[in-house]
Amino acid sequence: MTRYGGLGRTRPKKLTSKASIPVVRESEIDIIDDEIQSSLQQIETGVEKAEESEIHLQRAINATAQGKVNEAHIPTPETILSNLQYDELYPPIFSQPATYIRFSSTVEDCCGCPYNMTEDDDAYLKLMNQKRDPSAGRCTEDIFEEVMNFFEETAQIKQPYAAIDNPPVLSFAEMQDMMDATLEDPMKIFAKEIYEHWKSCRMSVQNNAIVPQLKFETGQDTDDSDPFVCFRRREVRQIRKTRGRDAQSAEKLRRLRKELEDARELVALVRQREIARREMLSMERHLFKQRAEVKEMKRKLNVKDDDEDLINQKPKKRALDMPAQRPNAPQLRMPLKAGQGAEDLQLLEDVQAEKENEILRDIKQNITKHIKWNEGYVDHTRAPLSPSPERTFDVATFRPAFTAQLPTPPSSESSGEMETSLDVTSPLFSKDKLASHDMEMHDVPHRMPSFRRRVGRGGRLMIDRRNMGANKVEMDPLKADRFKFDQEDSDEDHDYDTDAYSIQIMQHRAITMAKAREQAAVAAQAHAQAQAQAAQAQAQRRLLEQNGHQGSMGSNLGPGAVTVSET
Amino acid sequence: MGVRDSHGETTGTPDPVDRGFATLNTIRIGVKAMVQKDGELRKAEILSIRQRKDGPSFYVHYVDFNKRLDEWVASSRIDLSQEVEWPQPDKADKKKTAAASKAAPSKNVNANKRARAESRDMSQTPDILGGNNANVGKLSRPSKAGGKENLGVETPGDSSMFPSEAVSTAGTPKATESEDFEMADAAAESKSVKEDHVQTTTGEVITRGEEIERLRTGGSMTQNPTEIHRVRNLTRLQMGKYDVEPWYFSPYPDSFSDVDLVYIDEFCLSYFDNKRAFERHRAKCTLTHPPGNEIYRDDYISFFEVDGRRQRTWCRNLCLLSKLFLDHKTLYYDVDPFLFYCMTTRDETGCHFVGYFSKEKDSAEGYNLACIMTLPQYQRRGFGRLLISFSYELSKREGKLGSPEKPLSDLGLLGYRQYWRETLVELLIEPTREAISENELAVLTSMTEKDVHETLVVFNMLRYHKGNWVIVLTDQVVEEHEKRLKKEEIKGARKIDPARLQWKPPVFAASSRTWNW
Repeated sequence: MTRYGGLGRTRPKKLTSKASIPVVRESEIDIIDDEIQSSLQQIETGVEKAEESEIHLQRAINATAQGKVNEAHIPTPETILSNLQYDELYPPIFSQPATYIRFSSTVEDCCGCPYNMTEDDDAYLKLMNQKRDPSAGRCTEDIFEEVMNFFEETAQIKQPYAAIDNPPVLSFAEMQDMMDATLEDPMKIFAKEIYEHWKSCRMSVQNNAIVPQLKFETGQDTDDSDPFVCFRRREVRQIRKTRGRDAQSAEKLRRLRKELEDARELVALVRQREIARREMLSMERHLFKQRAEVKEMKRKLNVKDDDEDLINQKPKKRALDMPAQRPNAPQLRMPLKAGQGAEDLQLLEDVQAEKENEILRDIKQNITKHIKWNEGYVDHTRAPLSPSPERTFDVATFRPAFTAQLPTPPSSESSGEMETSLDVTSPLFSKDKLASHDMEMHDVPHRMPSFRRRVGRGGRLMIDRRNMGANKVEMDPLKADRFKFDQEDSDEDHDYDTDAYSIQIMQHRAITMAKAREQAAVAAQAHAQAQAQAAQAQAQRRLLEQNGHQGSMGSNLGPGAVTVSET
Repeated sequence: MGVRDSHGETTGTPDPVDRGFATLNTIRIGVKAMVQKDGELRKAEILSIRQRKDGPSFYVHYVDFNKRLDEWVASSRIDLSQEVEWPQPDKADKKKTAAASKAAPSKNVNANKRARAESRDMSQTPDILGGNNANVGKLSRPSKAGGKENLGVETPGDSSMFPSEAVSTAGTPKATESEDFEMADAAAESKSVKEDHVQTTTGEVITRGEEIERLRTGGSMTQNPTEIHRVRNLTRLQMGKYDVEPWYFSPYPDSFSDVDLVYIDEFCLSYFDNKRAFERHRAKCTLTHPPGNEIYRDDYISFFEVDGRRQRTWCRNLCLLSKLFLDHKTLYYDVDPFLFYCMTTRDETGCHFVGYFSKEKDSAEGYNLACIMTLPQYQRRGFGRLLISFSYELSKREGKLGSPEKPLSDLGLLGYRQYWRETLVELLIEPTREAISENELAVLTSMTEKDVHETLVVFNMLRYHKGNWVIVLTDQVVEEHEKRLKKEEIKGARKIDPARLQWKPPVFAASSRTWNW
């Protein structure tokens, strides 16, 4: 064998796919021509064995091997231009979108009615329309097709195996059953006439579908060998067996078994229950009968008592049970006093009211307890336990200001403020506190705005404002605390509320804020002024009332705890 | 050519060929006779016979030519002055053969008087078909042979009732009940399979059962060529602006074989045997492109990805159409496990389907392409090369090496070899390239290493030189490469631009990958 480059009998080195092979031009090496034939024969073409020998293919392969690529030509049947009126059938309606087309409608979606008229149908339709009274309306091609399609489809539904067992053509009466649901009214007018045509068409093709259909599997033995049968269903592909999959299916089986057992148990329990129920019913029936007998006897013997033996005595039993349970029942249980006359129906409202009262009482108790315990202390912790920390807090923080307050006599103040500030130590406190606690939510918005004027060092004038209608209600107490003294911007508090730090929102904020702030500031000032004016007017009114009041409680005022409000 | 013929026969058939003279009336299915073709005589096998007003015509397959050249010929083109080869009998039942060969001469005598129509009538009746089982030899009447001649004859009315009743006439003794005649048919077919293999190839013989089993489990798109119907059933196609001649059998509704022209809608690929119906359909159809997502677009073409599961009707239509031009394609199973990549050209009427390739959603064998076809009206314009190139572009995107599913057709082989050669030469000829491994070439092209290696060998580029392997850029491939470059300079290169491909390898959940519904 001198096949390999004239190297005699030495076997060539094995060529691995990873081995780097130098690339050279033909002129750089010696030419060995017996190589061509030998190498060509080694390679499979991938063409079916029976066809490999085909003359045209062999010619083409040889031509390419010799470098005559242009001769590598396999003749195929000619195609010619059709004399069809292409432009009429394919209108230029396509406009290419800028982006790649995405499309999911199916052929059925795009083709309208699947039945298409033939020349025969045309002739029949023409005849049909001629026969019709012109005033009654004519059948259009579209209606004709719809109706024909309806017949075809109905026949397919009702006689799915028509091709095999040769049933008679479906009668019009059978068609009518289906018609109501599918066909529109104007179509029904023509249905009868078209049916005759459809029937004759159908007869001419041995009751097969008028439009030739593909042959699918029919489940007959002949399917396999019939070359016209196509597009069979594929069987489920074999899944590779692995240990993991085995474990998985074992687990699945286990679970399935457990679930089935659970279900079985459930059913068994239900059965047990139903048996018990049946027993109970039969017992009751028995009881009823006995009672009826007793009644009968009583009548006969003329026994007169309270007839208690004729009714169920359950209520009594329960009444007996109740006292035993009472000590165990937790405090918040439904009020048991009502349990005494268990026969009497309790009103839902009563029960609820009772419940609520109890809860309220409990809360009150706790509050008073807490307050007593905390007496003389101010709770400065976050989310303080004291029932009305805010208030206490408020007052407490304002208190230092009171002392520095004296130079100017109080020009106005809100009575509410006065009271609470006073009440911290007053004996009335607990009651009031509770009330204010209950009302807290409602209380806040109603507080009067109040102001005070202070003179700071160097004769600076300061005006403190309170309760400027900031909607503190919605704020997180922690944050509210942060801006407690920041009431200048009270109208914009919501800005701080948003805690979304997404870049988008922050950017948006940055842009809008710049603009909005200017406007808002102006608006806020105007608003504040208007409010303040109203407040002043009110406050002054109040001041008049309070003057007397204040006088009487003056001793409690301590070191001039006067809130001054001023514009 | 003659040499090859005899070569094939002598190596293929150990048994002596049964030769003899025949007349028009004794010629039957399976006979090999000399037939005039383009001015020369070629050996051809008779596959079907039908009666026309002007005498019988014969469907012939020219031995050693592709089936797409099979055609109907008038009796005048058959040269009866030469001996014909009688079909090889099944070895399993030699007795029957003897009987049949006895029957042939006797029929010969009566042939002139016999009316064909009558014989067909006889063969149509199931009773006779059922009776055939007993012993063919007993039926020495000419009608038996007449029935045999009717094998696969596409006679209206006949075919719809008994698609291939004549085959059962040749029946095997196995068939004992009249209902079983179709099974006998199958048996007869598998017999002819063996015969074919004996004559034409030394390759393995696949029985029908094995074949179907392979199809069931393999998800293949190809089929043993001898299993499919051998006679082209459509005469002519009207599609778009063209009239096209079909090449092979395709399982369109069987009544379509009776019409002269079958209309195919260019966009939805629906088929019509009636012009008026086709026109009505065109008035309603709104489709202007393949019903899928466009994944590639350049100035010249667009590619659409169509899922066989979602677009069952369209993909079935497509498969029926492409079966007309692909011999080895099978429509045995449904289109669900495939994606169809459809190439279109655009104009103001829409995106015109030019060609496609199908691809398994999940190929166990690592195929990157199952079937590939350019419509005949667009062939020889470089579309096939674009399709192949696109299939490798998808493989590159998937990061996989791929190869087309086998068997290739003759045109497929040439197309692929050309693409492979050009692609490899393009890489090898780069001036900085001094050495490269087959693996590197495979990775760069997404071709399998096997394909790389074989291409190098086929074009004589891989040689063993002075104790070392070298890749030789032969003068021939260099010259062709330069020729191509020059041509592209003039005409402009049609290439797939990966940047324009908007595609991610689709992922299918296990549920959508299973093949049942």
